[in-house]
Amino acid sequence: MKQTKSSRIMIAAFLVLPIIHLLVFSYVPIISNVILSFTNYRGTGTPRFIGLSNYKRLLTDPQYTLLFKNCLWYMLVAIPQLVFAFALSIFVNGKFRGLGLFKGILIIPYLLNGVIVSTIFIIFFNNSGTLNTILNSIGLGALTHQWLQDLKLVNPAIASISIWRYFGQNFIMFFGALQTVPAELYEAAAVDGCSKWQEIKYISVPAIKNVLFINILLSISGSIQVFEIPYIMMNGSNGTTTPVIQIQQSAFADNRLGFAAALSILVFVVVVISVGLQSIFNKKAED
Amino acid sequence: MARETKLFKIVRYIFLTLSCIFVLVPLVFMAFKTGAEYSSTGVLEAPKSWLNFYNFAYAIRVGHLGKALVNTVIILGISLTIQILFTTMVSYVLHRFDFRGKKLIMTLFTLTMFIPVVTTQTVVFQIIYKLGLVSTRLSVILLYSGVGIVGIYIMFNILSSIPKDLDEAALLDGASYFSIYGKIVLPLMKPACTTLLILNGIGTYNDFYIPNLYLRKDVQTFTVALYKFFGNTATPFEIVAAAILLGIIPIGIVFLFLQKYIYYGLAGAVKS
Repeated sequence: MKQTKSSRIMIAAFLVLPIIHLLVFSYVPIISNVILSFTNYRGTGTPRFIGLSNYKRLLTDPQYTLLFKNCLWYMLVAIPQLVFAFALSIFVNGKFRGLGLFKGILIIPYLLNGVIVSTIFIIFFNNSGTLNTILNSIGLGALTHQWLQDLKLVNPAIASISIWRYFGQNFIMFFGALQTVPAELYEAAAVDGCSKWQEIKYISVPAIKNVLFINILLSISGSIQVFEIPYIMMNGSNGTTTPVIQIQQSAFADNRLGFAAALSILVFVVVVISVGLQSIFNKKAED
Repeated sequence: MARETKLFKIVRYIFLTLSCIFVLVPLVFMAFKTGAEYSSTGVLEAPKSWLNFYNFAYAIRVGHLGKALVNTVIILGISLTIQILFTTMVSYVLHRFDFRGKKLIMTLFTLTMFIPVVTTQTVVFQIIYKLGLVSTRLSVILLYSGVGIVGIYIMFNILSSIPKDLDEAALLDGASYFSIYGKIVLPLMKPACTTLLILNGIGTYNDFYIPNLYLRKDVQTFTVALYKFFGNTATPFEIVAAAILLGIIPIGIVFLFLQKYIYYGLAGAVKS
């Protein structure tokens, strides 16, 4: 539309508050964080410039490299999660009776908040909880463990909760992508005598390849930001601390704001890379 | 599918049963058990009485869940209204007008998807603190009121389907830009507003990080109240289970009636 005086007033009036919000709560903080990350700022006094010390500490001190290793567990469980969701979406492709209920039950975990999910899984992993009860009753008592106390098992155990929590989300995304394949394609394949396996390989898999890639990147940026489950279930104890739990601890309990800023920037970099790849990929898929 | 085999059917139902029975059932059982029953029975044993509502009543009274629910409603109501209104305004202006700096503004909104909330709170907390808003409802309302890029995309979709001739005809009739937006465009954007309302409503209701950081005692949201309850080791676990079941109810209701918006939102997450 042409610009007139009244349209300029409208544009300014409608944009001013959202843009101020954007600058004050997103851009100013992230830029300040970059600057703070090179200092030893402790919340009061003047910050002193200490170069890359914070970053060096984070990337070499075993206490802090552990944070990133813990994230690897969350990325690792994303593999079976995506494979199962991918396989299931191919298996159930098409309309059938009870489809709504089926999608519903799978998506519910995704809609529950971290506190609810944590409670459910404390019941599940407790020493006399659901998992051990089931193992005992089917004669696999030897496999029971103190899942949340065993330092070797606690991280894979709580990371695997993500499978339950996000499986449905992945499934719905794959399932949606498969629905965009025209039914005639499958009919033509059937007429040409394709086996079910060939059908999957040449029609279904190419149809969801893009969505799969996007989901992998979503899992990576999600893993680096893991907070709720280890914080609520374990309060970061037994070696379950993640970068975001550590940011909160350093910034708000220890007043080590410079250090927390450096850790924030490391998380930010991982997110930028994975979300960046995702949008590049999206653009390519659209062309 | 006509060629579907029995095997696929079986796989499907095994999935359903596993996901549901072993995880949700123990929680439901537990919420109806008495304290003595909880410590003497296994997690997969049903409670003696399904009419034992003591745990629910106790949770509501001691966990101050009623107050927390009121806080949540206030916070959600105000922040979602502001956020959605702002999203329609920003989208309308960016979609319908050409002006200097438009590209830059669009880029600024787009790039926020690279800045997760968790990476900025060290500084944002200081800003909220200097504004004197820590531990007030206004702090989280303010943080939740920003315009997100997903919302802008959803609005752009619907704006493309509203013919520009409509705006121009109204303009020739002497309507001001503000009344075109308020009387013509905004009512037509309603379906997109509903989608955004559901998506962000669920997201905000479920958010734990922000309210846990900014809100104390009297002003905490339902989700944080559940957590405080749970973190207090003196609280018997059957009571926690009852509280958690209460927390699932709002989500259950939204889900039952509005699930198509949720699926639409998930599909949108892929595209944006």
